[in-house]
Amino acid sequence: MSGTQDTQGLVRAAQALSRRPSLEELRERKDRTRRHLEPTGDVMTISMGPQHPSMHGVYRAVLDLDGEVILAVRPEIGNLHRGVEKLCEHRTYHQIIPLTDRLDYISGFAMNHGFCEAAEKLMGVEVPARGRYIRTMTHELCRISNHILWLGTSIMDLGTQTFFTICFRDREYVLDLFEMLTGARMTHSFARIGGVAKDLPDGFDHRCRKVIDFLPKRLAEYERIIKQNRIFLKRAKNVGIFTSEDCHAWRVTGPTLRAAGIARDLRKDEPYAAYPEVEFDVAVEYNADVYDRFLVRMKEMRESCKIIRQCLDKMPPGPFLAPDAAHSLPMKKNVLRDSAAMIQDFYQVFRGPQVPRGSVYRCVEAPKGEMGVYIRSEGGAKPARVRFSTPSFYHGQAVPALVEGEMVADMIAIFASVDVVLGDCDR
Amino acid sequence: MNEGLDTSLTVVLAKLEKRFGGRLRKQTECCGDLTITVEPEDWMRVLSFCRSARELAFDQLDCLLGDHLPERTGAPFEVVVHLLSHTHGHRLRVTTPLAEGQDLPTITGLWPSAGFDEREAWEMYGIVFAGHPDLRRLLTTEDFEGFPMRKDFPLRGTVGGRIRTDLRGKI
Amino acid sequence: MGVMDDPLRRPSDAEVGAALQQNEVMGGPVRLPGGIALPVQIERVLGFGRSFSFWPLLFGLACCAIEMMALGGSRFDMARFGMEAMRASPRQADGMIVAGWCTIKMAPRVVRLYEQIPDPKWVLAMGSCAVSGNVWDTYHVVQGIDSLIPVDVYVPGCPPRPEALWQGLEMIRDRVKQSRHAYDGLRRIPAREVLLHGEPRP
Repeated sequence: MSGTQDTQGLVRAAQALSRRPSLEELRERKDRTRRHLEPTGDVMTISMGPQHPSMHGVYRAVLDLDGEVILAVRPEIGNLHRGVEKLCEHRTYHQIIPLTDRLDYISGFAMNHGFCEAAEKLMGVEVPARGRYIRTMTHELCRISNHILWLGTSIMDLGTQTFFTICFRDREYVLDLFEMLTGARMTHSFARIGGVAKDLPDGFDHRCRKVIDFLPKRLAEYERIIKQNRIFLKRAKNVGIFTSEDCHAWRVTGPTLRAAGIARDLRKDEPYAAYPEVEFDVAVEYNADVYDRFLVRMKEMRESCKIIRQCLDKMPPGPFLAPDAAHSLPMKKNVLRDSAAMIQDFYQVFRGPQVPRGSVYRCVEAPKGEMGVYIRSEGGAKPARVRFSTPSFYHGQAVPALVEGEMVADMIAIFASVDVVLGDCDR
Repeated sequence: MNEGLDTSLTVVLAKLEKRFGGRLRKQTECCGDLTITVEPEDWMRVLSFCRSARELAFDQLDCLLGDHLPERTGAPFEVVVHLLSHTHGHRLRVTTPLAEGQDLPTITGLWPSAGFDEREAWEMYGIVFAGHPDLRRLLTTEDFEGFPMRKDFPLRGTVGGRIRTDLRGKI
Repeated sequence: MGVMDDPLRRPSDAEVGAALQQNEVMGGPVRLPGGIALPVQIERVLGFGRSFSFWPLLFGLACCAIEMMALGGSRFDMARFGMEAMRASPRQADGMIVAGWCTIKMAPRVVRLYEQIPDPKWVLAMGSCAVSGNVWDTYHVVQGIDSLIPVDVYVPGCPPRPEALWQGLEMIRDRVKQSRHAYDGLRRIPAREVLLHGEPRP
């Protein structure tokens, strides 16, 4: 029995290998699909201005067009720049957590998590096991929520309306889980330095299992609809090829890099939280086009369901927040009952954590790509410099490289497939 | 907190020391991160070596950022670069101190993703990157005055720019 | 006259009082040119019709836009109220739902879009960022869009739940029914003056 399965596995692997295009072949395909970059007639400059029907926020791209072909793109970002990094210099580490929520606001917890991982690395705080598992589970729920929303809005950019409504309908199940767990649908502010804010409520396990049993079937249905839709295939296959060397040069990470054949996933390569203890596959595709980015994200959603199920199965008992009086907040339930916890709460809220001097850089695999957090501390309760190197910033920068030579209509598809969110980009 | 470097980073450090030796101003290690501090004159040489050397092979620039340390009177500004190697999986931080008005060569030739980073460092701190193809404001308005991330620039208020509804015709 | 000549100037108490009085007057009989007086309160009829088909401009800036989209989704379903047709072009819209913080870079565009929306129009400031700037009291964020454009309804929250936005939209629909606008005392609309007085005021 196992012998036949092994052979079948080997045969499938061999077939998969033979289907993979090499880098040279991808480069050649890219040259073939891109059209000219020299004008053949009058050049028209249009401003795909900050307000446009594409659902990706206030990104402005000034396009030079020769007919339908894009000759040059000059992106303009900053329409949503808040100065988060400067604001962080005036806030304690605990107060920064709600600010990070609003960076990539679609997956708020992922940003909280990234910041807390960096701060914990700096302060030397170890998160207890239960906290790590809850973080992993919430991060994966964020990934599902992000990808479903991305799917709905991207397909809407490509022309449908119904898909948007059904994706949002299914996203509501995940948002209900978030509301049950964290208290908020979108901007969770759930991570704390040393763990998470609250424990899993009663009934969460049962409800979460119901949702992740139900979701893969839905996702399979969406995948079937997408793969059978001729319009989608025409608009997505061999469009926007961005090879792995382009990705490395332009610091494009996440699903776009994995669609180009590089199996890089920080959850496996630089693991954090409970990722070393759960089993999942990295979603990789090899054609580096818009279609493959869709496939990668669909597969990532399925893997996320797997991870969440394993987290629920293996959820260890114990504290969800590190009992570290110098760095983390106490558990809320103890604050009014225990004088030590009350003093710790008072100190952490009014003064902030005791942080050593030093600099740290930590990356996590946010749903859109690799998000890095750099913190330089001079020893006070407020950081001296915080830098969020968010994936959308670099993806927004890579748009000219992605899109020059393509047709205007393809630009929408390509821009949707790299998943740029302006709160993440402009900070 | 000082857990020590893992083996691949010790190799990186050894290679850099062998190549540049005394030119490296400082190397520090904090929480497992290796930081090399170089002189601004050696910026391009060190970073090109980081990119091309086989044992280092830093093929991705994770981010470039500016920083302002007003307490360091001689060289209040700093440019910090985070590098990542896909082949070896290690990371490196390279920093250089800069005086007021001192400029630094651009590294967009090595890693194109530095383009936006350097523009942001210029607009937030005033650090000029010589040879950058398009060094102008990125995140703030075009006529913004001042360098917002400097420590002496106020967080709140309208010091740098005001609401310009008179720009209606020009967007 | 009026604030729209200089949108950053606040109207004086006298101007606001005159506007409120005018609103009372509008409920009365309408005089058409030629001296015919209609007993029907046309604005009320028009307002009643408009309130079932308020098409907002697709103008989500930030996080609140996601909750606005969730309101358009099938669980909360704006389409019941005729609002799911979010227009991309301001010329086709009835109003704006400003969802998210407005930066000084984006401010001229917000004002321009507002001006491009034809009368009558209503504005809903969604989320604490549009209402007052929220925590982003920094060098680049406008502390509330009412410094730029007249706002009818403010919906605080970060982000407000879709039900909260829906309540705000119900308040907008009440104002649409009564044909009351935030700019009523703030500027002249010659077409309305013709309906009321038979000629535009000098």
